[in-house]
Amino acid sequence: MPARPVAPPAGGLGWANLGMDIVSVNRVRRLLTQYGEKFFERMLTPGELADCRTADGLDVLSLCGRIAAKEAAFKTLRVRGRFLPWPDIVVRRSEGGWPLVELRGPAAEMARESGISEITVSISHDVDYAVAVAAPIIAPTPPVSTTPPVSTASPVSTAPPVSTAPPVSSTPIEQ
Amino acid sequence: MADGLQTVKNWILERHPERDDIAPDLDLIENRLIDSLSFVEFVFLLEQESGTAIQMETLEVDSIRTLGAIEQHFFKAPAEVQA
Repeated sequence: MPARPVAPPAGGLGWANLGMDIVSVNRVRRLLTQYGEKFFERMLTPGELADCRTADGLDVLSLCGRIAAKEAAFKTLRVRGRFLPWPDIVVRRSEGGWPLVELRGPAAEMARESGISEITVSISHDVDYAVAVAAPIIAPTPPVSTTPPVSTASPVSTAPPVSTAPPVSSTPIEQ
Repeated sequence: MADGLQTVKNWILERHPERDDIAPDLDLIENRLIDSLSFVEFVFLLEQESGTAIQMETLEVDSIRTLGAIEQHFFKAPAEVQA
């Protein structure tokens, strides 16, 4: 069994690693009371904090939802030995109200390595807990060219082989 | 044990009352004594106790995986680390 499953190529039957997380409102409220908003500046971007802000300050349920969504999204990447890169998994509220995930820096790199182009999340909360589930969108892999490379005459040439295969079309990774 | 490391140990124990002690080589991550959310708080504590600014983005998991590793990375005097 592979230690770190990597998503199969898109376009056929396959699977995706879901991620899920639950966050206690009491726990986050304690952190907000004990450390203030500064604590969450290490986890959320200014835009995310703005999404959580109300006239009365940061909304704890919104904070919990963002935190759960980031953790759920991170779980889809199936990486070991790495901490959640909090500010690099950005969860913003779309105009329609649903959450959108943007991967940056190390998170985007981890996603690439796992064959994932984007992550979609759903958040729910009720009184004491917020939960989030995340599903990755599998990145299309470039087609394997069956055309042999055209080599130059010189056997000592270090020039890269020239492929006559059509250019690779792929969905760019959101960053 | 350095005072700072003892404070770190006590901090973990306070959050896990089911434990009486934490062995220096116990894996804090695998045993879920530190999770993603508490990790951020844990970094705050480590910075406070060790007097060292910590970049979460570049922090290696293995440097906080056990109390022994934490002592080595954050509470050893430079001369001790080199020895």
